[in-house]
Amino acid sequence: MNKAREKDINRILKERAKELSEVPADDGIEENSIEVIEFVLAYEKYAIESSYIDEVYPMKDFTVVPGTPSFVLGIINLRGRILSVIDIRRFFDLPVKGLSNLNRVLVVKTSEMELGILSDFILGVRRLPRKDIHPALPTLTGIRAKYLHGVTDEGLVVLDVQKMLQDEDIIVHEETDI
Amino acid sequence: MLSKEEEFFKELLSMYKIEAEEHLKAISSGLIDLEKVKTPDERKGIVEVVYREAHSLKGASRAVNLGDVETVCQSMESVFSMMKRGNIEQTADLIDVLLKAVDIIDQLINAPESTDISAIMSKLHAVEEKGGSAEPSPEAAAQAADEPEIIEQPEKEPPARNTVKPAPEEKPKSAKASPPPKEPEPPQETENASEPASVSQPIEVQKTLVSDTIRIATAKLDSLLLQAEEMLAAKLTAEQHNKDLRALSTELEQWKKRWESYDSEISQVKYGADAKKEQSRNNGGVLVDFLLWNQEQLKSLDSRVNDLTRISDNNARLLGGMVNNLLEDMKKVLMLPFSTLLKILPKVVRDLSRDQGKDVELIVRGSTIEIDRRILEELKDPFIHLLRNCVDHGLEKPGERNKNGKPATGTISISISQQSGNKVEILINDDGRGIDPEKVRKVAIKKGLLSEADAAAMSDEDSRMLIFQSDVSTSPIITDISGRGLGMSIVREKVIKLGGTLTLESEVGLGTTFKILLPVTLATFRGIMIEVYGQVFVIPTVNVERVLRIAVDEIKTVENRETVTIDGKPLALAHLGDVLNVPKKNQTLQQVEFHQGMLLNSGDKQVIFIIDRIISEQEVLVKSLGKQLSRVRNIAGATILGTGKVVTILNVADLIQSAARLNLAPTRVSKTEEAKLEKKSILVAEDSITSRTLLKNILESAGYRVKTTVDGVDALTAARAEEFDLVVSDIEMPRMNGFDLVASIRADNRTADLPVILVTALESREDRERGIDVGANAYIVKRSFDQSNLLDVIRKLI
Repeated sequence: MNKAREKDINRILKERAKELSEVPADDGIEENSIEVIEFVLAYEKYAIESSYIDEVYPMKDFTVVPGTPSFVLGIINLRGRILSVIDIRRFFDLPVKGLSNLNRVLVVKTSEMELGILSDFILGVRRLPRKDIHPALPTLTGIRAKYLHGVTDEGLVVLDVQKMLQDEDIIVHEETDI
Repeated sequence: MLSKEEEFFKELLSMYKIEAEEHLKAISSGLIDLEKVKTPDERKGIVEVVYREAHSLKGASRAVNLGDVETVCQSMESVFSMMKRGNIEQTADLIDVLLKAVDIIDQLINAPESTDISAIMSKLHAVEEKGGSAEPSPEAAAQAADEPEIIEQPEKEPPARNTVKPAPEEKPKSAKASPPPKEPEPPQETENASEPASVSQPIEVQKTLVSDTIRIATAKLDSLLLQAEEMLAAKLTAEQHNKDLRALSTELEQWKKRWESYDSEISQVKYGADAKKEQSRNNGGVLVDFLLWNQEQLKSLDSRVNDLTRISDNNARLLGGMVNNLLEDMKKVLMLPFSTLLKILPKVVRDLSRDQGKDVELIVRGSTIEIDRRILEELKDPFIHLLRNCVDHGLEKPGERNKNGKPATGTISISISQQSGNKVEILINDDGRGIDPEKVRKVAIKKGLLSEADAAAMSDEDSRMLIFQSDVSTSPIITDISGRGLGMSIVREKVIKLGGTLTLESEVGLGTTFKILLPVTLATFRGIMIEVYGQVFVIPTVNVERVLRIAVDEIKTVENRETVTIDGKPLALAHLGDVLNVPKKNQTLQQVEFHQGMLLNSGDKQVIFIIDRIISEQEVLVKSLGKQLSRVRNIAGATILGTGKVVTILNVADLIQSAARLNLAPTRVSKTEEAKLEKKSILVAEDSITSRTLLKNILESAGYRVKTTVDGVDALTAARAEEFDLVVSDIEMPRMNGFDLVASIRADNRTADLPVILVTALESREDRERGIDVGANAYIVKRSFDQSNLLDVIRKLI
């Protein structure tokens, strides 16, 4: 009986080893997947391609800047520099529901633009197969739905940071007439 | 590999640009001088110089493959060479063509794609043809060919030259940059004799160069200054830490005192315990020993904190001194002589005067005096505006001048002198017709800036100052040069912004003198911290004219605008919070007799802004709002306080504009409304700063008075100390959670009836039931939370 059990165990272990040794079909291949950082903001899960993220900074306090559009939460002190932080919920015309702790800022950066994106907490880094990202829901009609890369089956909202950062509309430039 | 080469070329190009700029400046000032000097020998000397400069530039351009520049230089060189030999006559038109060529080269260097050289080339060729078409090209070719062998030649010839023209010496690098031209003129004795009068070439003659200098790119220095300025943050932080430590020390001191007041009781107990011996030592005695030990600990803690405070005191002072010195010295490093700015002026004056058919001579004194580069850059526009004013309005046409017994050539003089106390005085004088105060007054009346009565009472001097107001111009017609009445107000604004003063003296028929007094270095930005509706802002001190208290009864409404009369002058009034659109905090709406006001100015506009209170004045390091917020109305930037908190800096020019635009709603609220608003106060308990701020904002904008606390214990203390109408609490909090808070509130007689709303992330049925069990009046899950929901519930409860 003991022997039979040992055999059983061996078989199971072998099977498992074989399963583990198999390379996943497409997840591991660079072209077919993107690496994203997943985060939560007010009970919604979002993801951003990790290559755009410079760092994740804990937010302790922020200062409201009067006269800025609603998507600008305010400015924070990022080690002696000023960084503006935006609330992405405003982009998708989502009702701003839910109180959040808003305690992490994802600093996203290109050579022309740098800003912070609010989040409650970071879930982690993972690879997301491109085929799993479906085009944006037709119900998301906000002006800035163009910042949306897609949505996964599990309801993860993948943002297109590049588009967001390159968009002129995101820059607040209010020239005063004299 | 390729990129390395590219990089090298890029670097080369940037060096070339600096060099070319200097050659061009030298050529254009040489050309201007050419028109002034009278004797052919002097002319020859100058032509020689510009000829060399053109040649050097040509060589340098070839090195960086700027063929077009090379071509233009080549032609200029031939023309200069003809001038040198006397093959061509010097006319104003010739100088025009050459100056134009200088402009074209400048364009070629900075924007090669968009510049066409064919027009200027044909002009230059025409000139060349006139001066003997046979010679130029072979000569130029020969020149190009034998260039290399004559590198050392210039060194041989200076003896005769350097007394005449220091110009070549002031560019030590021209020798290394590219070989100077061939065939140096045999030393001419006549040149020595004809030392040019200082008047004709004041810039050149007065210029002396310190020998121990090195060349550093200004960009590098700028970045160094920026870093030195960042040190200000270290200084402010050290000061803040010192303040915090002092506060801690005071607290400890009070604790110690309190303890000491119980000394006798403690010793009584101790002796009592000693007397009772063994048995009680186990109880009271041990505790007394513990108390005494505690007291000792407290004392040693206190003395250590005191030591630390002293050290931090010294530290803050030392660091402060070091940072101040560093900044001062850095600013000195960035000082430049005025000549760098003044060099462009002769050309400006020449162009203007030729357009107007006037003869003008520009005299410059004191161009070696140094001033902060940033000030110098800001001065360029004011100088040009003032010179335009002198040429256009000040100086008369030659005919008119003759009639008035003045020399046909008008004189504009710029003299710069160092004043005591870190100040520089700039005098810009013309010997023209002067400013007629009567005329200024008339214009001001016509524009509605002045009443007839005021005008009559105004002194001539004050009337003349009116020209610095925008819209006032004595010029009967608007030309592209002046007459719009803008230039002078720009001058005034810039000078004031730089921390200087501007005055003017004028006598009809004799001329006008503008006097500008400027600081040598830009002062560190100072700002006044103020509070409006609970938000803190910084206002630049330079824009604050005065601080005042305004009695509510003195506020009058004129044409739907609120005004207050200060020193007999009606001034517009606005609430800063309304202008900025900061959500109102209702406790400030109590009926007050006085408002705290600040009279802010920008240019010649003034508005009084009502604020809550002034916090302090301090040095401030202005930072931009980041790349995304490139320009925000009313906001000039932000700064980081010693505590690390970010505060926005207001843009007063914008504010005044916004205030004018705002259709002011009355700042006074009717009494009934006030009474209603004042009653309701809400206590918020929430450990997350952001949720707390959010809740606070929501509730305050809905018209409630809000006090925030960070956990259950904190909230309970507040609820017992003050009266509230309602409590909004989170459930998960450190020290005491929401359930326990509700239970404690219900358990206390004073607060048993206080409505409590629990706002929480917990969504289970058990939790909801537990919330109701302990006595919460409402239970809102964060997930389904929205503003109206919360406000509805609150309205139902109170």
